[in-house]
Amino acid sequence: MKKYDCIIIGAGIAGLTAAIYLERAGKNVLVLESKIHGGQIINTVNIENWPGDLGVSGAELMQKIYQQAIDLGAEVEYEEVIGVVNGDEKIVKTEDEEYKADAIIIATGTEPRKMSEKQTADAGKRAISYCATCDGALYKGKPVVVVGSGNTAKHEIAYLENLASKVYHIHHDDPIPEEAVAVFVAIGRIPNTGIFNGIVDLDQDSYIVASEDCKTSAKGIFVAGDCRTKDIRQLVTAAGDGAVAADAVIKYLG
Amino acid sequence: MEILDFYADWCGPCQMMKPVMAEFEKAHPEVKVTAVNIDEEEELAEKYEVSSIPCIVFIKDNKEVERVVGVASPKKLEKILEKFNA
Repeated sequence: MKKYDCIIIGAGIAGLTAAIYLERAGKNVLVLESKIHGGQIINTVNIENWPGDLGVSGAELMQKIYQQAIDLGAEVEYEEVIGVVNGDEKIVKTEDEEYKADAIIIATGTEPRKMSEKQTADAGKRAISYCATCDGALYKGKPVVVVGSGNTAKHEIAYLENLASKVYHIHHDDPIPEEAVAVFVAIGRIPNTGIFNGIVDLDQDSYIVASEDCKTSAKGIFVAGDCRTKDIRQLVTAAGDGAVAADAVIKYLG
Repeated sequence: MEILDFYADWCGPCQMMKPVMAEFEKAHPEVKVTAVNIDEEEELAEKYEVSSIPCIVFIKDNKEVERVVGVASPKKLEKILEKFNA
């Protein structure tokens, strides 16, 4: 079984920033990612609040950050983590492998909240999308519906109004208009923390409990980015968490 | 095996998949990979009922055998190929 100083779970900006800091400190790092590196921000075409690079696309920014981590020596494997065994030495299990590490950083982010069962059944065979900028153009000149009442829903509506023939707007659990051919869901996000339940403390919404020091309730397990309890979930705060968690790991490893 | 890789220039996740698909093509010259720009080939996108991109459709003996919607790891693509080549 291969052993690392630190295993980072999740290759979004929090995880990759942590990898950069750890590699620069001479630690050997494995980053595990279930899909593709980049995280949630790859859906954003124009980032307007990342200092120093106005209008950069999420994909371009994350490709650069990924390359920086790789060039420094970070290893990235595309495997889904299915469990963690905590102890002085940690074991991280994926579908195919097991890895050992002295420390873990959880940086698994969030995923879109799904519609209720009732609403999903109502949607039937119609397309369901969680990203208007990704999929909106597939419904040019067709009627669509946006589900949700927050800021994201408002953005999705504004974007789709330039494309679709009509944009219906409904709330969570409302019936879906018959005419709509696609359903755009924007009813918030939930943290990807299910597999860590019982290993680290979670709050009532399943976010991993930690303060700004990024330390979880478990010794040697740290958390960075959107899956942590925090007030502001932004690209810069996730990157900041990556640095803080990496520093905490360096001190922990001694 | 043949693969249709539905994408669009304005789609961030599709940009992330580009290097993955390029690597995959290099590793599997026996698989014909065709990138399909949904803005230019609306009919093909409609024929395959592409409702979300990136969308990677695996075709064997002229029949769709599997599709991956959204970003996918290189390993996932390898596993699908293995499954149908076995």
